[in-house]
This record gives sequence, structure tokens and C-alpha cells, in this order.
Amino acid sequence: MKISLNWLRDYVALDASADEICRAITFLGFEVENVIRTGAPQLNHVLVGEVLTRNKHPNADKLSVCTVSLGEALGVKTIVCGAQNYTVGDRVPVALPGAVLPGDFVIKQSKIRGEPSDGMMCSAKELGISEDAAGLMILVDRPALGTPINAVLPPGDTVFDIEITPNRPDCLSHLGIARELAAWFKKDLVYPQGKFRGVLPAGVASRQDLLSAVRVEAPEDCPIYYAHIVTGIKIGPSPAWLQQRLAAVGLRSINNVVDIGNFVMMESGQPLHAFDARKLAGAQIVVRRAADGEKLTTLDGKERTLNSSMLVIADGAKPVVIAGIMGGENSGVTAETTDLVLECAIFKRQSIRATSKRLGLSSDSAYRYERGVDAHAAQTAAWRAIDLILEHAGGQVAGPMHQAGADIPWQREIILAPAFVRERLGFDIADAEMKNALEALKLKVTELGETTHDALSAPGKKRNEWRVTVPSWRDDLDRPIDLVEEILRVYGTERIPPTRVTVPGLVGDDDPVVLFNRRVTDYLVGHDFHECVNYTLRPGAEVKTWAAETAVAELALANPFVEDQSHLRPTLISGLLATLKLNQSRGVPISRLCETGRVFIEKNGQNLECAAVGFIVAEDTERRWRQREAFDFYAAKHHIVSLAGLAALDLERQPLVATTGPHYGWQEGQSALAGDLQHGWTARFGLLSLAMAKAYGIEGKVYAGFFAILPEKLAAASAARKRYADFSLQPAALRDLALVVPSATVASEVQKALAKAARAAVGNAFSFESVTVFDVYQGKGLPEGTKSLAFSLVFRASDRTLTDDEVNAAFNKIQTDVVQSTGFSIRK
Amino acid sequence: MQDQLSALLAKASAELPLLVARPDFEAAKARYVGPNGELTALMKQMGAVPKEARPAMGKLINEAKTQLQSQLDAVHTRLEINELAAQVGPAVDATLPSPDVGPGTYHPLTLVREEMCRILRKVGFTVADGPEVETEYYCFDALNTPADHPARDAQDTFYLPENVRFANVAKKTPGEKYLLRTHTSSVQIRTMLKGEPPIRIVSPGRVYRRDTTDATHSANFHQLECLYVDKNVTVRDLKALLDYIFESLLGKDTKTRFRPHYFGYTEPSFEVDLSAKHLPKVKKEWIEIGGCGMVDPTVFSGVGYDPEVWTGYAFGMGLERLAMLLYGIDDIRYFYQNDLRFLKQFA
Repeated sequence: MKISLNWLRDYVALDASADEICRAITFLGFEVENVIRTGAPQLNHVLVGEVLTRNKHPNADKLSVCTVSLGEALGVKTIVCGAQNYTVGDRVPVALPGAVLPGDFVIKQSKIRGEPSDGMMCSAKELGISEDAAGLMILVDRPALGTPINAVLPPGDTVFDIEITPNRPDCLSHLGIARELAAWFKKDLVYPQGKFRGVLPAGVASRQDLLSAVRVEAPEDCPIYYAHIVTGIKIGPSPAWLQQRLAAVGLRSINNVVDIGNFVMMESGQPLHAFDARKLAGAQIVVRRAADGEKLTTLDGKERTLNSSMLVIADGAKPVVIAGIMGGENSGVTAETTDLVLECAIFKRQSIRATSKRLGLSSDSAYRYERGVDAHAAQTAAWRAIDLILEHAGGQVAGPMHQAGADIPWQREIILAPAFVRERLGFDIADAEMKNALEALKLKVTELGETTHDALSAPGKKRNEWRVTVPSWRDDLDRPIDLVEEILRVYGTERIPPTRVTVPGLVGDDDPVVLFNRRVTDYLVGHDFHECVNYTLRPGAEVKTWAAETAVAELALANPFVEDQSHLRPTLISGLLATLKLNQSRGVPISRLCETGRVFIEKNGQNLECAAVGFIVAEDTERRWRQREAFDFYAAKHHIVSLAGLAALDLERQPLVATTGPHYGWQEGQSALAGDLQHGWTARFGLLSLAMAKAYGIEGKVYAGFFAILPEKLAAASAARKRYADFSLQPAALRDLALVVPSATVASEVQKALAKAARAAVGNAFSFESVTVFDVYQGKGLPEGTKSLAFSLVFRASDRTLTDDEVNAAFNKIQTDVVQSTGFSIRK
Repeated sequence: MQDQLSALLAKASAELPLLVARPDFEAAKARYVGPNGELTALMKQMGAVPKEARPAMGKLINEAKTQLQSQLDAVHTRLEINELAAQVGPAVDATLPSPDVGPGTYHPLTLVREEMCRILRKVGFTVADGPEVETEYYCFDALNTPADHPARDAQDTFYLPENVRFANVAKKTPGEKYLLRTHTSSVQIRTMLKGEPPIRIVSPGRVYRRDTTDATHSANFHQLECLYVDKNVTVRDLKALLDYIFESLLGKDTKTRFRPHYFGYTEPSFEVDLSAKHLPKVKKEWIEIGGCGMVDPTVFSGVGYDPEVWTGYAFGMGLERLAMLLYGIDDIRYFYQNDLRFLKQFA
């Protein structure tokens, strides 16, 4: 909201500089977004001069060398000038050496193309008065020579563009801001002098023919409606001072009556509306809900279609105003208007806000009603407008005010203990200073002495208390803590004394999800991955690649803002691919990317919010002087096993399922799945679908890994402490065994059979320690459709070196048993 | 016998230094000291030596044995050295770059978040976390946001369709709508409902606003909030925390200042400015960095804490904004593009 400094000075004698006032507004709690200075700034060493002679510059076609008189004291100066719009005898502003023009332009004695110049003759733009740079500013009124230019120019104004917080609707006006500044600078606040106080002069006829009744049919939306009739007015232009006031705050002058309405709104915060009384059908005003589909063309020339949730002001026949928001063309004041009905009403905030939003129609009036207008000041605002109308448009008040609803007397008191203020602030402010602060804000303080009213006092313990009476415009104040803020605002937040942080120890640990993210990121960055951050919201088409059709619907937002951010992400891989693509398209070689963050996975018709980590490894396209082995499925597996391990899950002990069929972005036969959110977690890893990657515009193979886990599962996983298990110090005995198995048989199945046979074979005699695959072979020497898996088996006893005989006996039994139980054959 | 010993030693001295291959060495060793070796054979003749000559002869044999062994050891050592040298290969050019990819990098948002968490950890704050899909209660109602507050508008906040369910995000009341949290303050509510005061948490996390993406706005961004609940917490304590945070982050000369402001969930409320002289690309003397205030009694009542007993403060700020100020980054979108040339600058 724009606030004019000149206007503020009507109510409070501010002698501080604009900078100091700006600072005051800031520390009172209102952000100054912009400071606009209009008119001339303070210009020293810029005086009125007269051009005595003008000759062409010997060395420059477009310049002239002039002599300029500055009056008796300063005499005549020589000045080189490039302007063309002046003649000898013109009086103009002259900046002498030492002057500083706007833009920190310092005027010095100088030589221009060889000719000395004692200063500069100025354009209006150079003085910072207007944008007019066409030529010198000719002073047509011919002020006396040598007069300081500021004495000649109209005084400037400073306009503060202020953001008013929603709790302070009382400050959406010049009086409101003036009240705050009066408190800050400890000055008196002077309200405008009123004349009309509702008392009609004797002998004035009541013009029931213009307005016979005001009826409010929706009192819940319009608690108060005042209407005054003013007759015999003359519409015309506003006086200059009024036009200036409105121009300063960015309002266009329309005519005297409309301008007065706007002026009073900007002064007091109360919106007003003037009707042409002759246009009100049936001489009545009805405040009602619109009928569905009812239409009204508002003053901005647009036809609005209304509905039954919207409040309108209607006459006997039709809506004439969208209540509190904008008037209609059909009833507004025009040049021909002679009789007015002046509306001054209070509307329910929620109603105005909903209608304004619904219609996409905002206005200064709607803005104030939405935030709250002081019902107890409405009457005064109407009287103020009437005073100004009678003064500037003539006419008379014709009859008593029509009124619907009534002002409910305002009373609010807060019991405040000064000690409570000190407790909450944590530093000392003297009682007297607190009291001054509250009184400066027009709150009334009554000292109650030692009492126990204050609910915050210890039971039975008396302390000094005040009764603080809150004025009607401060509906935001109703608890002692609210007064703490008021005292601190006026005292000054910059005066809060510094201190050190005192820390009573609190035993706690970081959230398990935080710990997990930290661990996996450390792991991946430690393995040369670049951590990325991608958007959670993804395009629907992309989500279809990564989740089942039914899940896509579950992940859609109700109200996406843009089409490519319409769905919650079910995976981190798609974002990493977007990053990969961006880098590839910019010619930046990049291979290893990772990310942690929340993902949303549909399971049995419900979504689950999971913590997740993902990585991708693209083909390393950078040329290197030595080639390294390419990343493959098993490298991806290694990382995903490690990452799951950081969530206390042993993936090696979990069933892994190879991906078959088209499956959400992963390549069939080259990727695998483990876990199920039914058990709180899921993992996928391997090669991404080549077709998908190609269609997406990615070059080369991309391997990836993705692990998601429910936060609650992570919390449960962190607890268990490991137990030490004894181990043998005796030497191991090793045996190798190769089995020929059908090609489709997976290694874990063979290994499991082998382990089972081995455990059975050794019994309690000694221990079978481990079995690991060390060779996989398929091809020449083996029957079609088979492969050979070679395993290394380790045996050990806890108390002795095993003899060959006992190991061989066990090993033979293992071979016989495995062949028997599985049908695999031994490869000799 | 003495002559035989001398001859044997002479032969060994001549032959052994010439050996270069390990098999030749092993063969030679066997020839001299193996079970069928020449020295072994001589030692076996000791039985035939007269009793009185045995001590002298024994001494001679031992000397010869020691001598021979030391020669063999010398050869062994020489061969070892040569063999290892052969394994090493030619000298490296240490100036060639490593052909491996890497090193990895942390994202600047992670770096800034973790630095803030470390700073706060030192004064007793632990890191809390909560769901990004929230309900109206946790995001708005519990934070004293009026029912008709603009922040709740579908124009400003992302909502989920009414029929969608989130199995692990609990609703407070059945009728509530799911939404994407607009601030991490919802974590404060969940933490207070779950635990008992005193509480001292920092909650960094992702938040969502329905906003046009441009150089300073992003559909999702990150916040970091602190909450402290205890007895007798004061405005002065809050100011001390902010001073501590930014002195830790930017050095002792850094100043903060409070400007009164309005937030529904704190009273009094302040915006926090930071003296900006340390910061790259900032021309102003003060720059706004976050909002804070004393927890509003209404919020305490809502979570079942007696506002006459408990007091507290809350502070919140945008992580992208902080990172932009610290590093001099001028476009928020860079955080989400992950251009490698960007990512590599902060490692």
C-alpha cells in the first residue's frame, strides 16, 4: 500500500528524514518495499539564473557558450550548454560547482571542448523532477535571480510502498500509519476536524423520494449499513490538493465526489460508495444475495455473472453494486449527478473474500473489507466524507441517515502484569517505559496494584497488574502475549540485548530417515557419485513408465499448477535420467548420479510415502588414456546390497527375482527385484530398458539401482545390537565342486542345495563354513541347454586340523547327495 | 676330508654368484645341502672319523656349513630382489590423471543443510523428519491458520484428490484433505504430539508451493526450522540462537536483527535480517533470511501443552535462499538442473 509522507504530516508533525521514517516503519513491523520520491529533491547550489548572451561554441556545432546572470551577489557566469530550446532572456535553473544532482552527478568547474564552463543549466530530468529531458527547464514565472531552486519548485513528496501484515487492517490507511509513527516518534496524533455530526440543519426537507428505505436481507454478511442522502451537489474536478493526495498513492482523479470517497478510504481505511440517487429504482436499497445468473456490468466495463453466494447492493429492481467490491455502471456518479446516496457499510470479511476470489475481481475496497474494517469508526468516516462533499461539491444533507444493523459497543480489556512482559522478553524494561509504549499506541493503562487477576501468576501470589483497554481498531490484541509484542515494537527490537545460547542438555538422536539419507549419500559420494536434487512432481507420462496404470491415478495431484509437474514421483530414477539427459544435451560428460528423497508408491490401492535412495550409471563417454572395465549388472548389485545394508537389511539373504516382461522402465532379463513394501521395503537394480532410454533421448546403456523403505521400518531397524560369535583358529580345508545344471537354474538355488547337502554331510563332526561360486561356464564341452557352476566349499573344525580322509568322506557324500536330490550332474 | 670341504666351498663360491634363475638356484641348493647333497654326504662320513679327531673335524664341517648357507642366502636375497623388480614394471608418470571417474560430489543443498544441522547439533538440537504429504490439520489447523486463510487456497497449495489414501500418513480427523506440506512446521506439530517437552529439534525438509517457477521460485524447495519448547524461554534466548547460528556460519562479525512481523503460529513474531557484508553479490546492508517468534499459546493448547507452563520459540528459513546467499548463486533453478559444472563447484 502506498503511503504519502506529505499526507501523513496532516495528522502527525513528522520532522524526521524520509530515511528515518522508513526505518521507523520497518521496525514497527511493516516492510517498506519501495520508497518513491516525487518532485524536486533538496538541491544545494542550484539557483535561478537568466541567459544574457548565447554564442555558438567555436569547436562544436551543437554547443553554445552563454553568459548567465545569477543576480548581484553571484554575478555573471560563463556556461557551455548543449540544449536548444531557450533564448536569451529565459530564466532557467543553474547548477554551480559543488551542486550534486540526482544520480550523484557532481557539478565542477570544467572545460568543454576547450571553453571554460562555470556550471550547468539544467533540464527538469537533470533536477530529478520529471522525465522531461527535451531541453532546459524554462522558469516561465521568472522568479528572482539567485533564488535557491527548491524555493521555486513545488515541494516534493516521499511515498512509501508498504506491505501491511494481515493482522493489521487498521494500518491500511494514512491515519493508521500516522498513529504508529506518532507512537514511534513520541508525537501527538491529530485527527481531522469534523463539522457534520449527524445533526441536520433546521428546515431541511427529508428526501424520502430519493431513498425511502434500506433493507438488509443478509444481515450475517452485512452487519451495518449506513446511507446518507446529499442533494444539490455539483460534480466537478477535485481541488489540486486532493488530486495531489490521490496521485501520490497511485489513484486517478475522477471527479470531486468519487475522489472524496477514495480519499476518505485512504485516510481512514473505511471504503465508501456514492450512488446517483436518481438511478435507484424504487428509491430503496436492498442488501441481498444475488440470484444465480444475475448480471451486473461493473465500473471497469466488464459484465459479471453473479450467483447466490455473492452479496450485492440492489435497488428496487436490480443489483447496482457487488457489495464491498465494485459498483455498477448503472448507478454510478456522473457529471450530471446532483443527488447522492452515500453508502458506508460493514461487510463480513469471508463473504467479500470469497466473492472477490470467485469473480477474480479485486479492488482497494475489497482488499480492506477482506482484512477487516473497524465497524466502530464507520460513522465517523461517513461524516468526514460528507464534510468534504459539502465543502467541495456543495449541496446539503437531505434527511436523517438510513441505517440497518447497529454498532455493537466495543469493549476489550486485558489484564497484564509488567513482570510477565519481562519474563517473556528475558530482559528488563521499566514499568514506566512499558506503560508509555502502550499509551503511545492509544491503549489505556489502569494500574491495579498488587492483585492476582493474572492467570499466569502463581496461585495466591500477588503481583503488580494493569488493566489495559484496547481501542476498537486493534481487534488483533486480546491476550497478554499480544501486549508483549506491542511493548517490544515500540521499545525497539534492535534493543534486545545480546547473550549466549544456554543449553540444558537434551538427550536425543537424529531421526532414522535423516541418518539413513546421510549414510547412503556418504556411501555413494564416496563411490564417485554426484548427488543430485530433482523435483518431486513429475509429468504423468513419465510416471506411467515407472508405475502401474492404476498407481498413476493414485499419484496425481488434484490441482497441478503446470502439466509437467502433475504427479508425485514413484521413483528417483526418472529424475536422475532427466539430469543425465540435460547434461548430455549440454555436452557435459557425466556418468554416476545419485539422489535421496521421498517417493510415493502405490500398494493395494493405497499410497505409501517412503524414504528412498537411487543411483544411475551411464556409459562413461569421457575419453581416457587407459580404459577401465565397464559398469555392469553385478556392479549395480554390489551397490544396492551395500545401500540396503545401511538400512540394516541383508539383501544377500533375500530372494531376488529377475525382471520378466515389460516392467516399469527396467530391462527384461537384465534387472532384478527384491523385497516388497508389504514388508516395508523394495529394491530394484540392473539395466534400464534400452527402448525406454532411447525413446527418452538418452545415449548408451544406463544401469541403475533404487531402494525404498518405509520411515517406520527404518526406525525399527536401528535398534538391535550385534553379538560376538566364536570362531575357529584351526586351518581350513577347501574342496571345489562343479555342477552341470540347466541354463535357467539360478545360482542361489544350486548353492542352497549344496549348502544343505554339506551341512548334512558334516553333521556335528566339524563345521561346513561356506560355499561360494567361483566360476560360471556355458558352451563347448557341455550339453546344449546346460551350464556349469563351480563352487568352493570351506570346512573347518573348532579343535583340530581336519585330516584329508574325514574331509574327503564328507565331500564324497555331498556329491552323492546333491546329485541325488537335484538331478544335477558333477562336472569332472 | 678337510680338502674335500675346501674344494666344495671353492666350487660353491665360483658357481653360486652366477646363478640367475630360481630353478637353477633350487637345484644348486639341493646339490650342496639337500638330503643327497655333497655337504650332507661329507657330514655322513663323520662316523668314520676317529674319535679324537671328531671335535676338530666337526668344527670344520660346521664352519663350512655356515659359510655355504650364507652364500646360499645371499643368492636367495639377490634372486628375490630381482624377481620383485621384474614384477614392478616401468616407472609411472605420476602426472597422468587417474583414469577412474570421480570424485563424487555432495549437492550444495546437502552441504548447507548438513552445516546448519551441525551448528544446531552443538547447541542441543536433534534433526527431526516428517512426511511431505500432510493433512490440513498438521499443516494449517494446528498452526493456528484460520479456515479462510489464503495459504490454504487451492491456488497456493497442492492438494491430493479426496479418494486417495496414504496408508502411512495419519489423519487427525477423517474429513481432512491430503496436501503437500507448505512448510516444515508440520514436523513441529507431529514432534510435539508424539513427545513431551522439553523439545529441541531442527527439521530440514522439502516443501511445496503452487508457484510459477522462475529465478527465485520453485514448485518445491527446502526449509529448515528450529523449535525449542521449555520453561522460561524468552525473546532474548531466540535472539541469542540466531546470533549464534549466523556467527557460526559466517564469522564473529555477523549481526542479525529482528523486525516485528506477523505469523499465525508465533507471538511475538519477527523477520530476521542478516548483515550482508560477507555475502557475495549482495549490495544491501541487511538481507532478510528467515522468520521466527515465540510459539503462540494457541499452538501449545492445540497439542495439549499447558501454555501457562510451557514457552518456546521457532525459527524457519529457506535452504535454497541461504545457499544462494552463501555461494552467490543467482538462479534457484540451478539447484534442480544438476548440471555437472554446477555440482562440481561446491565439493
